[in-house]
Amino acid sequence: MQEKDKTRRKVLIGLTSAVGLSGIPFAATPFIAAWNPSAKAKASGASVKIDVSKMRYGQQIQVAWRKQPVFVVRHTKESLGNLGLSVPKLADPNSDAIEEPYKNLSPTRSQSDEYSVLTGVCTHLGCSPKYYPEVEPKAWDASWSGGFFCPCHGSMFDMVGRVYKGVPAPTNLIVPPHFFDGDILTIGEDKGVA
Amino acid sequence: MNKKLKFFSCIVFLTIFTINIDAAEGGPCKDYGDCDEFNYSLNDIESLQRGASTYLNYCYGCHSLQYSRWGRVATDLKIPEELFFDNLVFDNTIKAGDLMKGAMSKDDSADWFGVAPPDLTLVTRSKGDDWVYTYLRAYYEDSSKQYGVNNLVYPGTAMPNVLVDLQGSQKLVCKDVPVIGKNGGEKRDEAGNTITKEKCGYLKVAEGEGSLSKDEFDNLIYDLTNFLVYVGEPAKAERERIGWYVIFFFVIFTALSSLLYREYQKDYH
Amino acid sequence: MNQIFSNIFNWVNHRLPIVNTFERHLSKHPVPKKVNFWYLFGALASVVLIIQIVSGIWLIMPYENTEEGAFASIEYIMRDVDYGWVIRYMHTTGASLFFAVVYLHMFRGLLYGSYQKPRELVWIFGCTIYLAMMAEGFLGYVLPYGQMSYWGAQVIISLFGAIPYVGESLELWVRGDYYISGITVSRFFALHVVALPLVLIALVFLHLVALHEVGAGNPEGVDIEEHLDDDGIPLDSVPFFPYKVLNALVGIGVFMTVFAIIMFFFPEGGGYFIEMANFEEANPLVTPEHIAPVWYYAPYYTMLRAVPDPLGGLIVMGSAVAIFFVVPWLDRSKVASIRYKGIYSKIALAMFAISFITLGYLGTVGVTEVRKIVSLICTVLYFAYFLLMPIYTKFETTKEVPNRL
Repeated sequence: MQEKDKTRRKVLIGLTSAVGLSGIPFAATPFIAAWNPSAKAKASGASVKIDVSKMRYGQQIQVAWRKQPVFVVRHTKESLGNLGLSVPKLADPNSDAIEEPYKNLSPTRSQSDEYSVLTGVCTHLGCSPKYYPEVEPKAWDASWSGGFFCPCHGSMFDMVGRVYKGVPAPTNLIVPPHFFDGDILTIGEDKGVA
Repeated sequence: MNKKLKFFSCIVFLTIFTINIDAAEGGPCKDYGDCDEFNYSLNDIESLQRGASTYLNYCYGCHSLQYSRWGRVATDLKIPEELFFDNLVFDNTIKAGDLMKGAMSKDDSADWFGVAPPDLTLVTRSKGDDWVYTYLRAYYEDSSKQYGVNNLVYPGTAMPNVLVDLQGSQKLVCKDVPVIGKNGGEKRDEAGNTITKEKCGYLKVAEGEGSLSKDEFDNLIYDLTNFLVYVGEPAKAERERIGWYVIFFFVIFTALSSLLYREYQKDYH
Repeated sequence: MNQIFSNIFNWVNHRLPIVNTFERHLSKHPVPKKVNFWYLFGALASVVLIIQIVSGIWLIMPYENTEEGAFASIEYIMRDVDYGWVIRYMHTTGASLFFAVVYLHMFRGLLYGSYQKPRELVWIFGCTIYLAMMAEGFLGYVLPYGQMSYWGAQVIISLFGAIPYVGESLELWVRGDYYISGITVSRFFALHVVALPLVLIALVFLHLVALHEVGAGNPEGVDIEEHLDDDGIPLDSVPFFPYKVLNALVGIGVFMTVFAIIMFFFPEGGGYFIEMANFEEANPLVTPEHIAPVWYYAPYYTMLRAVPDPLGGLIVMGSAVAIFFVVPWLDRSKVASIRYKGIYSKIALAMFAISFITLGYLGTVGVTEVRKIVSLICTVLYFAYFLLMPIYTKFETTKEVPNRL
């Protein structure tokens, strides 16, 4: 075979392969994209809005967001004042060990001075901690100053979800993205930290 | 080559001949005759917007679009979400991601109308765009029916004429039409005048009764049907757009592989 | 770097016959050097099979195989899943093109006597694949659970009821319920997604192994094994790789262009690939005006309707498919290819093709008196092609087949 033909072959093989192979990422796109969260997933993963103005002081309510419980607590001035009492018992009082979205904004760990918004999932193995706001001795802590107690393995958190030392749970309860617009709390997104 | 060509053309001819045996039967537009032709234009965003507005104002009260999502309609029709929800969504518990499940419960509506108004998400795909376009313009007065109206395209329909205020009411009238001879031409008498015959079943709108003229109403129905074509398959416009690129790719690929094949064919020819 | 790759490759090749297999079945596998476009459809069929499997796997992910969820899940795929519509249309277009390609592939077999000795088993595996495909297509069409899915299933399952004695129990057993329901859908789902694809893949493998054992035919009907060179390789052959692979590549390019045109511009195929009635959810209380199967079953549907008795219709329909299996023994000609067969074979094949297409058309439209008669005539012609074959192939004057390609 002549040199010219050999070159021609090489060029044609190269071109055809290049064109053919260039089609592969395009052909693969629908199959990869089909695994993205669908419109249904995005709809049910959408933010939830609640009117928190009717909450009593000291009340905790629970809402579902992305199939997880989210606790909204409306603090009394008293319980906010008591937050200092629990600090010596806490493993991470400043939430340094985790991604804290609204760090140093407010003692409530949220964007509001009155409300705390906490993901109700124990950072140990995922159970839902129970709300015990009363300041009185409890079976799990003789000097309990209010907070959350997880019934599964005994982890303890204070009124703003900060984890105790020496319990199975390693970190504070996570604060989900959220923002307040007057009386309406939106959980799932925020409009940038103020 | 000549023989083969003759042979194949014989087959083709015979096939076509046998296929055209006894054609024509009752069409989908029933008493109306052939459905009026409808050509969608999914790139005419304004038409789709008008159609969406008509649907949500006149139809959504009874007919759900249960496979469609509110937010997607706003996005695809390039309507800013706030504007869409303020003006076209009449229930403030509805979120953008929700399905358009309808305003009436199926049980109630089945009670009231005898049959629940069907969901219309796929109506242009199951009945045809032409059918929908013609149906919506084929209502006429018929005192023997429950709501005083009947429809040439769907005789005995349980749906009232919702758009009568816009169109005005139609009646069935008779017209003198030319008689068509066997050769397809009009029959004439000795003097050369066309012979006519009375034929009934034509629709005639009462002039000035509806708030829209005939053309305006036809345009409204065009936009509405266009919107329903969109809702039937929201990906249609994108599909046709991408299609050109894919075909182009394969044409190039075929050309190149053909050159490559011929190059290698030299080895043994 | 090259040395390392070489070492790894040799280690694997010592334990798995990669080079051997590549040479035996690709780079040193002899195929006739001159074939025409009719010989591309086998390769195209494998391409479609792969497309169906891949798109099928992706469709299973969002699909709900329940009575309540099936129809809605299809719309979910079309709207909510990113590019779900691409995958759906890929699968529906692939289904119709699979049958188009296979029908043309089978016609090639009839044209060039590909079923003759020593390729009878290749043919039989092929007919079995066709049978499996018909079942696979039917089961798949039920899954979207539209009106045509439901009523088509109703008609076909009631055919079981036509069988004497065991019919009614069989019908109940196939449905799993007293009427078509979610139970039927979910079992058809298992058959369509797992059982039949496995059967199809196994059969295709056997089909190809049998083919490679005896070698491919050619349009002249010449036996290329009769003239070998000094190394025992047929003189009129070329190695499969790269020559036939490149040929196939061109065919695939053309085919994919057609595939793309249909998929992106006419996915419903004018109502023949996805029937309009299937855009309405299954309703046991409302029968569609027109129950027609998808186009690729149409010829057999016409035969079924042409015979007034249900059992008779079932037998005729079944025989029409079954008769393909025995063609290698019906053809008594010494000559394989239509190019060298006599005038009777040519007329018979032409009549067969015309009847098949006509039967197909008639299966998609309503029944009238005239059409009934035409259906019967075409059915008779269809069977005549096969049943008279032992006679006309034996006694007609054939032309002399050349020695070489």
